[in-house]
Amino acid sequence: MTRRPWLGRSFATFVLAPFCVLMAFPFVWMLLTSLREQNTIFNGPFLPRSFTGAAYQEAWTSIEFPLHFWNSVWITSVTVAGVLVFATLSGYAFAKLDFPFRNTVFVLLLTTLMMPSTALIIPLYLELKSLGLLDTQTGLLVLYVSGSAPFAMFLMRAFFQTLPDELIEAARVDGGSEFTIFRRVILPLTRPGIATVVIFQFLSTWNEFLIANTVLRTTDSLPLQPVLFTLMGQYSTNWPALTAGLTLSVVPVVIVYVRMQRQFVAGMMLGAVKN
Amino acid sequence: MATALSPPEPATRALPRRTPYRFGSPLRKSQRVAGYLFVLPTFALFLAFVLWPILYTAYLSLTSWGGFGTPRFVSFDNYSRMLSDPVARRALVITLVLTGVTTVLLTFLGLVTAVLVNAVWPRVGVLVRTILFVPGIVSFVVSAVLWKLIYDPNIGTLNRLLGAIGVDSLQHPWLADQKTVLPAVVVVTVWGGIGFTMLIFYAGLQGIDPSLYEAAAVDGANTVQQFRHVTVPSLRVVTGLVVSLGLLNGFKAFDVIFVMTGGGPNHASEVLGTYLYSLAFGSTSGSIPQLGYASAFSVVTMVLCTLAVIAQLWLTRRANR
Repeated sequence: MTRRPWLGRSFATFVLAPFCVLMAFPFVWMLLTSLREQNTIFNGPFLPRSFTGAAYQEAWTSIEFPLHFWNSVWITSVTVAGVLVFATLSGYAFAKLDFPFRNTVFVLLLTTLMMPSTALIIPLYLELKSLGLLDTQTGLLVLYVSGSAPFAMFLMRAFFQTLPDELIEAARVDGGSEFTIFRRVILPLTRPGIATVVIFQFLSTWNEFLIANTVLRTTDSLPLQPVLFTLMGQYSTNWPALTAGLTLSVVPVVIVYVRMQRQFVAGMMLGAVKN
Repeated sequence: MATALSPPEPATRALPRRTPYRFGSPLRKSQRVAGYLFVLPTFALFLAFVLWPILYTAYLSLTSWGGFGTPRFVSFDNYSRMLSDPVARRALVITLVLTGVTTVLLTFLGLVTAVLVNAVWPRVGVLVRTILFVPGIVSFVVSAVLWKLIYDPNIGTLNRLLGAIGVDSLQHPWLADQKTVLPAVVVVTVWGGIGFTMLIFYAGLQGIDPSLYEAAAVDGANTVQQFRHVTVPSLRVVTGLVVSLGLLNGFKAFDVIFVMTGGGPNHASEVLGTYLYSLAFGSTSGSIPQLGYASAFSVVTMVLCTLAVIAQLWLTRRANR
């Protein structure tokens, strides 16, 4: 790009370095604060001199962290599984099967893809109320799966479209039912697509706050995000415990990100591009 | 063949199995039935929990309703009330301003960082991409709580840092001052979103044909000219995408503001999302929920989001021309 690449690279690094420090600072600070002693928050030195894990113990026990953590794990797992089933079936149908009104239905699903949950929260709340599903994890799961399935369908459809038609035709000639073809021939070929949807869905469900905070009331059934929000009020001065809770809630997300960075980025990109 | 694993599909049983499939032949019944069955679950959920809520909220926006009894039809009263409600007007203006500012910042900073990341040594690039991207994968609640602590007027890190470097005069109750609360929100939103826009631009940069730069260099263009005349025009579609995503995220903004400021102080950071939420689910004083009026804000939000999608289609089409 330039005649003197070394110079350009040094210059870019020089500009990016302070920017990266700024970007990373809140997380570094979060970790440092979570490892401090509570009594050094207000008038101790800016950088702690000694570290303790006491805050983690406190967050773990006094807010019943494991309970909410498992609520999050459970809600996220069921949502991911449900979305995956619905999205692969319908994505495949829209990509490869021919049936009347296919495009009409597809466009209908497409036009509402970008409706934010802020705009739908009132009717969704009322709907769950009339179904008697308010304040139940079942109700929350129904909303999560139905809200996410169309978008995941859209992603899966893009993956299914890359498969050659001849493959399906050959399987039909061999006499498989449409479901068998889907299950035995198509799905195994779509692993990257499935991984992408799983990661994308995992993240958005794990991080979802608005619907969970509105629909669920019983403390015991709450996933992490609403709990962190109430924690902010309760522990407004106990920063080590608060930041320890934040750190613990982020651990699964970071693990998934680090381990599956490539599919992750691919998924985010695809999600954005396909919008 | 129907194995133990595949569920019975009565419609396909009756069909002859081994008819050769010809392209362009009339619809095969099995395919049609399978198509419907495969789409049905998603479509049913969509009708019940996406399309119906949209229509229902549009209807509710034409009513006055406290949540009990039957909604009273009031035609467009809620919308005219919105025009005369100073908080509503303010929320609309703030939503548009926040959206505009964050979109411009995210697009500009995303492009610049992407170009820089593309220019550094590959290993450094991977590291920088990771650092910039991580704020975008934690939840808005986590980032909002974190920044609320940073902005804390008494023991917040920002004020302590300012004190440590000797500029106590700049110390400030960032989230409690009507003048600084919006910039503070913008910082958090940009912090969380920049990794993502950077990544979109970065992917766009990989798609530019290197020979374009070579040709420009042969013609004597310097780095800035190359950026201006090769990079920017080549990224038009990508830019349209980033802009429309910025608009969408801005119009639906809720989590960060709800957690950090709750729309305050004195509605100075109130956006459509937080205002409709407080109207419907009343954070204050057990007042009667105003579901009809709140629904009007839902409709406005949906219209704005639809406009953002249309804008993107338009930008893409224009860029491809």
